[in-house]
Amino acid sequence: MKNKPTYFLFLIGILICLLLFAVNLASGSVLIPIQEVMGRFIGGEFSKSSWETIVIGYRIPKAFTAILAGIGLSLSGLQMQTFFRNPLAGPYVLGVSSGAGLGVALLIMAGSAFGWSMYSGGFGIWAVVLSATLGSILVLLLMSLTAWKVKDSMTLLIVGLMFGSAVSALISVLSYFSGADQLKMFTIWSMGSLGSTQPDQLVAFLVSVLLGLLPLLVNLKSFNAMLLGEAYAESMGVNVHRLRWAMIVSTGILAGSVTAFCGPIAFIGIAVPHMARLVFKTGDHRVLFPASALIGAAVLLACDTISQLPGSAQTLPINAVTSLVGAPMVIWLILRRNFSKEF
Amino acid sequence: MSIQNSILQATDLSLGYKKGSRSNVIADHISFSLEKGKLTCLLGPNGVGKSTLIKTIMGQIPALKNQVYLDKKPTNSISIKDLSKKIAVVLTEKINSANLTVKQVVSLGRIPHTGWLGNLSVEDQQKIDKAIQSTHINYIEDRPMNELSDGQLQKVMIARALAQNCEILILDEPTAHLDLINRFEIMHLLRDIAKNENKAVLVVTHDLDIAIDTADEFWLMQCGLPLVCGSPEDLILQGKIDLLLPNDRLHFDKSDGKVRDSAEFQYPHIDGPEDMVKWVKLALRKNDIGPEINSITIKTEGIQIGFYLSESTDILKFDTITSLINHLTTLGYTRKK
Repeated sequence: MKNKPTYFLFLIGILICLLLFAVNLASGSVLIPIQEVMGRFIGGEFSKSSWETIVIGYRIPKAFTAILAGIGLSLSGLQMQTFFRNPLAGPYVLGVSSGAGLGVALLIMAGSAFGWSMYSGGFGIWAVVLSATLGSILVLLLMSLTAWKVKDSMTLLIVGLMFGSAVSALISVLSYFSGADQLKMFTIWSMGSLGSTQPDQLVAFLVSVLLGLLPLLVNLKSFNAMLLGEAYAESMGVNVHRLRWAMIVSTGILAGSVTAFCGPIAFIGIAVPHMARLVFKTGDHRVLFPASALIGAAVLLACDTISQLPGSAQTLPINAVTSLVGAPMVIWLILRRNFSKEF
Repeated sequence: MSIQNSILQATDLSLGYKKGSRSNVIADHISFSLEKGKLTCLLGPNGVGKSTLIKTIMGQIPALKNQVYLDKKPTNSISIKDLSKKIAVVLTEKINSANLTVKQVVSLGRIPHTGWLGNLSVEDQQKIDKAIQSTHINYIEDRPMNELSDGQLQKVMIARALAQNCEILILDEPTAHLDLINRFEIMHLLRDIAKNENKAVLVVTHDLDIAIDTADEFWLMQCGLPLVCGSPEDLILQGKIDLLLPNDRLHFDKSDGKVRDSAEFQYPHIDGPEDMVKWVKLALRKNDIGPEINSITIKTEGIQIGFYLSESTDILKFDTITSLINHLTTLGYTRKK
């Protein structure tokens, strides 16, 4: 089903991604001329040695974090939209990110009782990833149970919002009963940031994203069959029950680990798959999955660049930027009457 | 019935759902044999268990008693992957996506036959092209799904099922919501598929008229009764087709294959060509105008038709049945109910 325009679009996408990557490295509280960054790419050297430290030690891990988070969130959004056959599904909207938050909150509040700290290094970050993933999977399980009973997309969405609120309320209750230190630790985590990932944590992040991609790659074909609905998919030999589990595990790991490393990030998961459908004009998941990954990486790189407020020392929270970009996009999609047909 | 053509059989099947230890029987004493090269129509009132029978055949729900056999093997022992190479379906679900073209939807039918990435081989392409050819949808193959009419949409879904290249094709009410021409077209298309490609085609339908015209075999389902199988012609002559009618108020007219009101109706005397008398009778019956009026004579005069009503003293002429009926109603001949 791939054809020339598709390959051409991918090529343009990769070029845009590289450009955004370079711009992202160049901008920040210290502006580095973009030609210097480009020059460093092809083996040159920076004219100031401090730039080397800034770029290698801080900005490159941050840019890679943005890329991984963009890929993880958009792919979990795409899977959820296809599986629930709901154009408004996404990890943030349906409360999956809140579930991850609950997992982390439980870990921080309970863990500190045993003298554990998020920053103790070594095994610490894996514990955060694991608890965030389990929290996501819990919400996803509840969502699938609901989707089984409820076929209407609006009802599912409202139930998802309620799950999100209930989980946030649980987190508030936990915070109320926790000590000042844990509360501070949790609050800092929940504000979210792409810049707090250490190079060794980046490896852990990469491994989790790859792990989350596995169930998805195995079932690529089945997602196409799901475009015709569960009954048709089953008649074409797709084990829908197994696919549901694959979707839950994959989305849980992807959204969970992104939330663990960067905090809750809104709207990427819901908006990017729609952007991919609009740009690539296809429903074929063999195109949509790489396309969503590419666009997700580009969008989050761009959002991160904006959040640096180029030329100033201030930084906006990444979640605020993605919401400012994503919310109007989703509103626009809903206001277009043929929304369900675009899906 | 030829044994070698039979592909799917069941004897004394019970259908229904199990809830814990209780089982809810929807239909039982279901025996059938589905044959290749034949168009079989499953008829029955709503809620009698037609969809349950289809789901049982598809292996989605287990039978409560006995089993459905496909090629001598019970269907529930066959993996859904292998089953998807044997049975293709057209369901009532509506597919409405701007991001899928007709050809892409037909290509999805190849999913059971392709590798994990779903890349299409030359053979797959040929099967897809053939499916598009035999459903005559070449002219819309690049259109997005949401721009199709209901009739076109149904043909695309049939093409998708054909591309799946199965010996058995099951369709759940493929002609519902379609206009008369499309209903005929779809049923004749299905008949051609059964004949030309030697497939066993099973269609759930409520269109008795078209089913009589096209089907080789009828399966009649009625609450509490065993499944009745046979050719439509035999079932009509044996009077078994009346099983489809819920009570005595309606009956099946063997002479023209139409469902009629059973109550006897007395007509006035009508003279004229038989095919015209028929329609005047229909109008009289609808308006409940009985034999108390004098005779009616129908005459053709060139391209004009004249309806003559003889009253006690003189004869009145009408140009249309409507004006004749209007006259009679104003005179108060219609019996108030």
